[in-house]
Amino acid sequence: MVIKVENLVKRYGDLIALDHFHMEVKEGEIFGLLGPNGSGKTTAINCILSLLKYDKGSIVIYNKPMLPDAYDIKRHIGIVMQNVAVFEELTVYENIDFFCGMYVKDKKTRRKLVEEAIDFVHLNDFKKFYPKKLSGGLLRRLNIACGIAHKPKLIILDEPTVAVDPQSRNNILEGIKRLNKEGATIVYTSHYMEEVEEICTRIAIMDKGKIIATGTNDELKGMINSGETVTVELLEIDNNRLEEIRNLPNIVSAEYIDNLLVVKSSKGKNNLIALMDFLKTKNVNVGKVYSEPPTLNDVFLEITGKELRD
Amino acid sequence: MVLHHYFYRLKCIVRDKQNMFWTLIFPIVLATLFNLAFSNLSSADNFSSIKIGIVDNEEYQSNTNFIQAMKSVSNSNQNGEENPLFDVQYTSKEEADQLLNNNKIAGYIYFDNGLQLVVKESGINQTIIKSFLDEYQQTSSTIMTIIITNPNVDVDNLISSVSNKTNYLKEVAVSKASPNNTVTYFYALMAMASLYGSFFGLNEVTAIQGNLSSQGARVNIAPTHKFKLFIAAMLAATTVHLFNIFVLLGYLTLILKVDFGSQLGFIALTCFIGTITGVSFGTFVSSFIKKGEGLKIGILIGITMVLSFMSGMMYDGMKYIISSNVPILGYLNPANLITDSFYALYYYSTHTQFFMDIILLCAFTVIFTVSTYLVLRRQQYASL
Repeated sequence: MVIKVENLVKRYGDLIALDHFHMEVKEGEIFGLLGPNGSGKTTAINCILSLLKYDKGSIVIYNKPMLPDAYDIKRHIGIVMQNVAVFEELTVYENIDFFCGMYVKDKKTRRKLVEEAIDFVHLNDFKKFYPKKLSGGLLRRLNIACGIAHKPKLIILDEPTVAVDPQSRNNILEGIKRLNKEGATIVYTSHYMEEVEEICTRIAIMDKGKIIATGTNDELKGMINSGETVTVELLEIDNNRLEEIRNLPNIVSAEYIDNLLVVKSSKGKNNLIALMDFLKTKNVNVGKVYSEPPTLNDVFLEITGKELRD
Repeated sequence: MVLHHYFYRLKCIVRDKQNMFWTLIFPIVLATLFNLAFSNLSSADNFSSIKIGIVDNEEYQSNTNFIQAMKSVSNSNQNGEENPLFDVQYTSKEEADQLLNNNKIAGYIYFDNGLQLVVKESGINQTIIKSFLDEYQQTSSTIMTIIITNPNVDVDNLISSVSNKTNYLKEVAVSKASPNNTVTYFYALMAMASLYGSFFGLNEVTAIQGNLSSQGARVNIAPTHKFKLFIAAMLAATTVHLFNIFVLLGYLTLILKVDFGSQLGFIALTCFIGTITGVSFGTFVSSFIKKGEGLKIGILIGITMVLSFMSGMMYDGMKYIISSNVPILGYLNPANLITDSFYALYYYSTHTQFFMDIILLCAFTVIFTVSTYLVLRRQQYASL
C-alpha cells in the first residue's frame, strides 16, 4: 500500500472539511479523487502531505506514519499543486533546478534530471524564460516539471489542468499516463470527470469531506441504476408518441428539444433496440442515433442528488 | 543543500526589482536630496560683510574716534581680514538714500548733531549695525565720563583697557572631529536603509512558509530541514543588503563627502550588525503577523519611519529630546542604536558608547531571529 488514510477529520471552526475520510492508494495505480469544488480534495491532499494539521485520524505512506519531519518518505513524493508554485525571479530551468536540488544533491545527476523534466513537459524552447513570459498552459507544465524532476515514486497532482487550454490539457494527461507507465504511483484530484475517467485506474468520489464511492470506472457506474442515454435526431414527434416512449419498459425520462429526442433509461439490456423498434413500428423517421453509457456525473447525481458540476 | 538554497535565494533577491529599488536606489536618492538641502543650510551659516553707507560730511570728518572705530571693522581696515563686519561706501546723503531705496546697502550712518542710523527695514543686518553703534556710543560715553571726572588719566591706557574685552568662557572640543549638525541626518539615513533590510527578511520568510505562499508549501514538502532553509535565506538576504549598505556608505563618504570618521573597521561592523538587525526584524514581523503581504510591508515601512524619525532623520534635535527625556526609548530603538553607533565613532574618543549600542543591536537580532525560528519550525499549519 502506498497511501492509507483512515478516519481523517479536519475542522475549520464549525466547518467539517474532512469527515472521517478514508482512502487507500495501491502501488502503480492512477488514483483519481473526484469531487466538486469545495468537497475537500485539496484539504485531504494537504493533510496527507503533512502541511495541514488535522483533528483526528491516521495517515500512513509507504507503511510509515506521515509526519512533518518524515524526510525519508518526503524524498519519494512529488507534488504538483493547484496554484502554480514557482518563483517569478527564476527562469524555467532555474525553477526546476531549485526544486529538484531540494531532493538531489549531486549537480551532475541533477542537471540530467532537470533536462529530462524539461523534455518531458516540452519546455525546451523556454528554458531561459521567466514565468511571467509563459502562457497559462506553459506555466502549468512548468509547475508539473518542478514537481516531478526528482523522479518521485509517488506523484500527487492537485487539479493540474485548471484554466488550461485543450492542447496543454491533453499534453498533461498524456504525460501523467507516461509517468505511471514508468512506474510512478499517481494521485490525481480533479472536478473534471472526463479527465478522471480518461486516465484513472481507480476513482474515489468525494462530497462534503467524505468519500461516497470508490472503485474502477466500471465498478462505479455499476453501482447505480441509470443505464445509457440515447439521443435520436427527429424532425418531429407528437406529445402522444413522447408519452408512449416514457411508458416503455426501463425508460426513466424522454424529452424532445431542438429536434433531438433524449431518452434516459435505467440499467438493463436492449434498451436501445427496444426504443428503435418502437420508433420503427410507429413509422417515425429517424436521423442519427447516439448512445452514451452512464457517466460519473450520473453516479454522483444518483448518490448525492445533485450534479457534479453544481 | 544550504549552499544550493543560498545561491538561488541570492538570485531571487537580486532580481526582485521592487525591493532592490527601495533598499539600494531610494536611500541614495534620499541622501542626494539631504545633501542638496544641507549644503544650502551650511552656506546660510557663512558670514558675509554687511554693506552700509556713511555720509561723508564735515561732522563725520571731525569725529576721528568714530573714523578709527569704523576702520577697525570695515573693508578699509589694515588687518586684511577676510570678512570684516562692514563693507562701507562713503557717499552723500542723497546718494545714501538712493542706495538704501535700491537695497544696495542695509542702512547708512550720518552725523547730524550726533550719530544717526537710517534703515529701511528691520532685520539681522540692521540689528548688527545698531548694536555696533550702541556699543560705540556706550564706550565713548564711558571714556568721556572717566576723563571728565579724572582729567589726569592716561587716555591711551584707558582706551586700550575699555576696548579690550576679556572672554571668561573657553571653547573645549570633545573630540578631534569638527562639530557638524548635518551628519546626524545621514547617520539616521544609514539606520533607515539598514532597517529596510526587513523587506528582504519578509520575502525570505514568505518564500519558506507554507501558509504564506504556494512556493513555501512546495518547499515544506521537500525533505529539507527548516532550520537550514532559514539560515540560507537569512544569509542570502544579509549578503545582498550588506552590499547595498556598503554602496550607500561609499556614496555618502566618497561622493557626498559625509564624514564618518576614520575607524573603518568599526564602521563596517556597524553596517554588518545593522543589516542583520534589519533583515531579522523583517523575518520577525513576517512570521508573527498573519495578514497579507501588503499590510506587512505597510507595517514595516511605518515602523521603520517612526524609528528613523526618533533617531533624528527628519529633525536632528529629536534624538537629543528622546535621550534627555525618555532615554529608554533610545535604547529600544534599533534605528537610534545604529545612528548612535556612527555618532559615537565620529565624536567620541572612547568606544564605551559604541560597544553598548552594538551589544544592544546584537540582542535585538538574537531576539528577532530566535522568535522567528520558533514560529517557522512549526511545519504544520492550521490552514493554508
